Amino acid sequence: MDVLEKLKILSDAAKYDVSCSSSGSNRKNKKGGLGDAKPSGVCHSWSDDGRCISLLKILMTNYCIYDCAYCVNRSSNDLPRATFTPEEVVDLTINFYKRNYIEGLFLSAAVFRSPNYTMEMIFQVVRKLREEENFNGYIHTKAIPGADKEIVEKVGRFVDRMSVNIELPTEEGLKLLAPQKNKDSILKPMNLIKTGILESTEERKKFRFSPKFVPAGQTTQLIVGATTDPDLKILRLSEGLYNSYGLKRVYYSAFVPVSNNSKLPAIKSPPLVRENRLYQADWLLRFYGFQAKELLDEKKPDFDLALDPKCDWALRNIHLFPVEINKADYNMLLRVPGIGVKSAMRIVQARRFSSIDFYDLKKLGIVLKRAQYFITCKGKYYGLKDMDSEIIRNQLVEKSPMGQGYHQLSLFDQVSLQDKYIQIGGQL
Amino acid sequence: MIQYIYDGSFDGLLTSIYEAYYRKEKIDDIVPEDSVEENFLVEKIYMETDREKAEKVYVAIENKISKESLVKVFYAYLSELPRHGINILKYLELGFKVGPQIDLNLSNDIVLKMDNIYHKVAKESHRMIGLIRFKLLENGIFYCSIEPDHNILGLLAPHFASRMMNENWIIHDVKRGIAVLYNKVEWVIKDIGIVDSLMIREEEEEYQELWKTYFKSIAIESKVNPKLQKRNMPRRYWKHLVEKNF
Repeated sequence: MDVLEKLKILSDAAKYDVSCSSSGSNRKNKKGGLGDAKPSGVCHSWSDDGRCISLLKILMTNYCIYDCAYCVNRSSNDLPRATFTPEEVVDLTINFYKRNYIEGLFLSAAVFRSPNYTMEMIFQVVRKLREEENFNGYIHTKAIPGADKEIVEKVGRFVDRMSVNIELPTEEGLKLLAPQKNKDSILKPMNLIKTGILESTEERKKFRFSPKFVPAGQTTQLIVGATTDPDLKILRLSEGLYNSYGLKRVYYSAFVPVSNNSKLPAIKSPPLVRENRLYQADWLLRFYGFQAKELLDEKKPDFDLALDPKCDWALRNIHLFPVEINKADYNMLLRVPGIGVKSAMRIVQARRFSSIDFYDLKKLGIVLKRAQYFITCKGKYYGLKDMDSEIIRNQLVEKSPMGQGYHQLSLFDQVSLQDKYIQIGGQL
Repeated sequence: MIQYIYDGSFDGLLTSIYEAYYRKEKIDDIVPEDSVEENFLVEKIYMETDREKAEKVYVAIENKISKESLVKVFYAYLSELPRHGINILKYLELGFKVGPQIDLNLSNDIVLKMDNIYHKVAKESHRMIGLIRFKLLENGIFYCSIEPDHNILGLLAPHFASRMMNENWIIHDVKRGIAVLYNKVEWVIKDIGIVDSLMIREEEEEYQELWKTYFKSIAIESKVNPKLQKRNMPRRYWKHLVEKNF
């Protein structure tokens, strides 16, 4: 099988892993070397589904000993299989990198023979890239659940980021869909990476040149909609991962129906809106000072699909609003729907000079579509007559103009053939 | 109406600002030579670039306002947007009055405008760092052509000089007829006209083919979203992208 064929198979098999970023590392290029990493990360292209392409995302192999129901690469699935040699991966990475197609490599793998064997294959590639090719670009690899401590640590010293995918947010889910995996085997490597990072940061305080260990931190991925778990469970898990495992990112992936196993829910298309809501909530946890329990609780375990989580929160806490834009502190500004981190910072900056009115906000580029209902400027309220959460809600929920049997009339829908000739030629 | 015309260099622009300050004329705009438009009502005054005067303005901005302001002025100059000259002048007039705090005053129109221009240029420069596509030529040089909205070659060069320090490469701004050349030691910006035919190395097409294959197979069919793709990667850049131009 030639490389082109392998690339087709093994990138196709890797595409359901949504992690894409190349951020968080500031690895410098060495003399005579190739590549460096930018802390902000760089996107190099955007594929047809609108996701950014930053890394060459491929599997080392898609031969798998596991049979997880939600996964395309499960052993019982009949599809073409392939395995890269380390040389092939290195050659692709280097040549793509030099042409500026990619920011680095994201190497994952199905579990081939055993976790340790698979991890060893990954190690071969990253060692070659770093030591033989003097490659200093970004590398993200998987830590395979069940692999030994030694091999995980060996790989960790060469890469920028590592991830272990949890995929299913509860143990019941795992039992049902991935009976060969369990919670402990997944959390163990995450713990290994966490302690490795802590140790290396300690070490680097004493010795500046001691080697870095996974400098861009670790991430994970959760599948949304493959089990019946509500958003509350997923969000609580993410919160726990951020707080106690120090994760950099939790990725959410709307479940794409890849098999018609009876244990899986029968859905026609992936729950993309739900995925979007979870990402919004995730941002609220990480950058806006929200806690999971503020956004969801047992009475309301799922997000409102028609309204973003922050609006939803604001409407349930309408007694806190409206806030005065010239007085509210930064943390409160962040909680106003429609005002993001950048906008809040701009407001705080601008009002040190002079007080701000409604039109200044517009000039600052702050989107007032949602914010207008929740703020006052110099004491003046620009929203509706009343601060009534029901009425505001109706304004905010996006109405679907189609679907009620109405449609925009077109001038040319019911044109006869003869008229069409006239249109084209201008005469009969 | 008076317009100052400068030779297109940053020093030329700074000289014009120096003159505008000391001549105390009411001027309408400061325009680079190559974008002067014929206008009956305008009195044109050509400015001779004077390094000494430019240096004075440069140092004054850095000391009396701030380093960040100097960067903003430079980016506004690179933006090549209409009326950037007069915007810079007005911004500096205010800056010399207010001092280092000027950039906080975002409710001032001119400060806000300069801030927006700065972000526009910075955004394109960051985007282009990702969207550049090198082709390997027969002589071992990595070549790419781009058509950016703003004159950002000088902002791109340091990035690639550090990343690809061990390669020879050329980034060619076809729109402006200039290119940055790097020879494993240093980079320079030179005028380069149209390049008709490039001798491309044999293996080049193979890797382009591999990249196109990868680009296609990495997309999830059931999540296709062309609107999002275009928002992130505007159509005007596609012409020079291997994966989008076939």
